[in-house]
Parts: sequence; C-alpha cells; structure tokens
Amino acid sequence: MSKILLVIERDLRSLVRHKSILIMRWFFVIVQIGIFGLAVSRLIVVMPNYYNYYAMGVIVMTMYSVAIFTGYEVYDEADDGFVEYLLSLPITRRELVLGRSLAGGLRSFIFMSPIIAGFLFFIGVLDPLKILTALVALYGFAFGVSGLSITLAVGLRSGDRFDIIMGALDAFIVRLSTALYPQAFMPGPIAALSTFNPLSYASDLFRWSLNFNIKYLANPAVALIVLVIFLMTFNFAGVMIYERNLEGGNWR
Amino acid sequence: MRIIGLTKKYGSTLAVDHLNLDVQEGEILGLLGPNGAGKSSILMMLSTIIKPTEGTAEVGGYDIRKRPYEAREMIGIAFQEAKLLWMNTPWEILNWHAKVCGVKNPRHAVEAILKELNLWDARKKLANELSGGMKKRVEVAKVLIQKPKVAIVDEPTAQIDIAGKYQIWEKIRALRDEGSTIILATNELGEADRLSDRVAILYHGRLRVCDTPRNLKDSIPGGDVIDIRLEAPVENKAVAELKGIAGIVDLAIVEPTHMRIYLNRAEKMLPKIMQLLSTLGVGINSINMKEPSLDDVFFHYAGTVLEESQATPSVASP
Repeated sequence: MSKILLVIERDLRSLVRHKSILIMRWFFVIVQIGIFGLAVSRLIVVMPNYYNYYAMGVIVMTMYSVAIFTGYEVYDEADDGFVEYLLSLPITRRELVLGRSLAGGLRSFIFMSPIIAGFLFFIGVLDPLKILTALVALYGFAFGVSGLSITLAVGLRSGDRFDIIMGALDAFIVRLSTALYPQAFMPGPIAALSTFNPLSYASDLFRWSLNFNIKYLANPAVALIVLVIFLMTFNFAGVMIYERNLEGGNWR
Repeated sequence: MRIIGLTKKYGSTLAVDHLNLDVQEGEILGLLGPNGAGKSSILMMLSTIIKPTEGTAEVGGYDIRKRPYEAREMIGIAFQEAKLLWMNTPWEILNWHAKVCGVKNPRHAVEAILKELNLWDARKKLANELSGGMKKRVEVAKVLIQKPKVAIVDEPTAQIDIAGKYQIWEKIRALRDEGSTIILATNELGEADRLSDRVAILYHGRLRVCDTPRNLKDSIPGGDVIDIRLEAPVENKAVAELKGIAGIVDLAIVEPTHMRIYLNRAEKMLPKIMQLLSTLGVGINSINMKEPSLDDVFFHYAGTVLEESQATPSVASP
C-alpha cells in the first residue's frame, strides 16, 4: 500500500509542474459554463433548468479530459524510455498501474475541485451527504478513465494509433453520452449507444446526487454499478496489459 | 548472481546469445564490449525490465523469471542514459527514489549524496536545466543512495569530466566495499581495468572470456614485452640461450643493440633474463617493460580493436 501511495505522490507532484495547462483549462471551463452555458440555456426552453444540467455535464467532461491525460504521460514515458526506470523499481506492476490510475483520478479531482466547489455554492447545495455522493461519482469515473487511458497507452503500442484512438474517443464519448443532453432528446441509435457510455452514467449520477430532475436521469443504482464495473474492468486490463506489453520489452 | 543460458532476440536479431556467467558476491564485474555487444540487453534482463527469450538468472537466489519482484528488491540500476523526467528536480528525484527503495532517513541520505557529488547547488533545478554530466551524476546517485545488494551501473562516467570520473570511481569502489556486488557495463577500457575485479568481454552478443584483468592480460601468448638496449651488438649465442628460457614466446632483434622479448609474466621472468645476460657478460644500457592493455585482450578474443568495433556495431542496441 505504501508503494501505491508513493506512486500517487509522484504523479500529484507532477500536476503542479503543468501550471500553464491548468490555467488554460480552468479558463476554458469557466468560459464554457459562464458564457456558452448561459447563452445556450436561454435557447433551450423544453427542459427546465438546462443551465445546471449543462454545467454539470461540462464538469464531468472536463474530469474525463484531465483523467485521460494519464494515458498520454504513460505513453510518453514508454516512448522516451523513462518507463525502464519505473519497471526497474521494487514496485509490483499492479501497484504501479493502480497507483497511477488512482493518481490520475485524484489529479482530475484536484484540478476540478475549485470549479466544483464554486458550482455547488452557486446552485446552493451545501448538504455534506449530497456533496460526498457527487464527489464519489466523479472520482469513481475519473479513476476508471485513468485506467482506460493506461490500457490504451500500453495496449496500442503505436504513436499514430494512440493519437487516432484518443482523438476519436474524445470526439465520440461526449457526443454519444448524456453529458450535454438527456437521452430523451437523442435520436434512437444515439440514445442506444449512450447507454453503453460510462460518461452518461457518471453525469447522471452526479446530477442525481445534486437533486437534479430525476425524470431525465438514469437509475442511480444502475449508474453506480456501471461505474464500478467500468473502473474495475479497465484497471484490471491496465495491469494485465502493462505486465504483458511493457515487461516483455514489447513497447520498443 | 548466476546467469544461465540468458538469451534475448529482437525479431530476428540475436542481441544476447546463451550467456552463462557467475558473478561473485562483493566483486566488481566489468562487462566490456562495443555498442551493440548486448551489454544493455543483459542489464535490462537482470533488472527484470525486459524478459529473456531463453534462459534465466538468479539474483540473490531469486529467479528473475519466476520471482521478478524479489529479484528487483535486490537490484539497483543506473542507466546509460539518465532516466529523469524534465519536471522533477534532483532533490525530488532522489528523495522519491530513496523512499521507494526503502532507504532509511531518506532526506538525510539525499542531502549527503547531493553534497558528495557536487549537486547540492543544483538540487532545485528542473532536470531539463541540468547539464549532461549533472544528469548522469543524478542517475548514478540513485544507486549510491540505494546501496542495493546488486548494483548495475551502465557507463557511469560517460559525459562526466575527469575530476568527476575519479569521484564516481571512488564511490563505486566504496559501494563494493560496503557489500554491494557491482556489474559495471562500459566501453571505456581504462575504466574497466581500473575498477573491475573481473572483466567479461562481450562481442556479437556472446561472452568471449571472463577473468581478472591480470589473468586476461597474461592469457595472451607473449602479451608482455621487454625492450632491452645493449651496450654492444647482441651475439647469436645470447639470443639462442634467451630463446631457450621457458616462458619466452618470441625474441626479435629490432636493431643490433636492441632486443624485443615477447613473453608472459614479465615481472617474474625479468630476473632470469638479467641473470643470463650477466653470466654471458652482456652489458645493458636500458630496460623497458610493457604489459598488454585490455584493448590487446579485446583484440585477442574478439579479433578486432574496441574502437573499430564501436564504429560498426553488428548487433542493434535494444
């Protein structure tokens, strides 16, 4: 356990070195929620309180995009040979992957915490239990996304393939989810696809915990189960692929 | 450490070819070979970073294939190219490394090693602001601070200035004296000769020979050379009697007053030669002894000199 904490410590320290990226992303999120969100919510009259729906979706989307960054780091480390150092340390591969995945989720969480705190204050949710449930939903999702990104980074073994898959994932995972619009308003095939998307469940569970209109959300129990399966599947896959692909020297 | 039939293939390229080698506890074993000889692949297999294609090794009694985690706990490695992330400082890098490797009182140990390796003033600089030599010293510091049972150092003084080289060599010896077994991969002959208790010569992924530097030099027939300059031209009788001494491999008359004798263990043979010349009444102006270098040894076993083989590596580095 202590080795996992050391891996987490290292990755959290690296977060503060990316100050310019952090500031740029904060700026993007604030503009997106503060300007675009306000404007677009005036257009949408069929759904009550769309502004809150949208803002919560942007928060979860951003959590996703920060958590996926772990995969890019893992890929770069394999590409420039730094991974050899990590593999030489007295840490099991499982501790290494889980530590990085947990850290990826935490980094995403730490990055978004000022915005989440501001938003909760803005919508007037101060109930600790609701806040805790919301945070657990967000963290669980970010943890799973980190595991997914590590799995892809070490599984694809090609810079071009990795960039293409990550780009495609980034484009489709948001559009084919309930992050920005509820399933009730989606065309049939897209609605069907969105039910297989963990971003949908993370967004809906987050909204449910903050008392958003339940009519537009997935069943919270189902959402919770899907998120747990998601994070377990991809972290387990990450460990397996990390061991097989990296320890065999196959990243070269 | 026992290495048993260790083999690594990258596609169709055979980087390490059935290596068998025992490394004695508490010795410095030099792995000498040109780039592409398979040194780095061997080190990475021993460190459990990559898996062997065939064969295995035991580190402290743990099989690197069956018990890689336990083997890793015994090993520390300083890589040929410093493995530092740009966003970390030497202090952060060493402090984290020390904690991961279970070093007691890591802050104190890090402070000490940074001061000893003249890195204290640079401790808060980001890794990408450090010079090549500084990065290399941080890399070596990882092993020095860890004090592992088996320390692997890959070209530890590459990019380091002369004063720094002496400092690192001293630290490696001290690490050995404190109980670590050290595997030193290098293509610097002087470094291998100066530090190694034994030297293993690798070429084309195969072990050509492994012994102490002294024995390796002595293993070259006629490797030692004694130049004797005489007061008067040498007579045939003296030449014949000198050639009759057991251990003298060859004798050449360079000039009428200049003999060159090829032999082994020149320091032991010289008194016999002097006694014979004295008996024959041959006057001597000067004597010069030269023992073979590791380059001569490398040439003898690999059929090429190290500098030439560096220029045309035959096996790709991993």
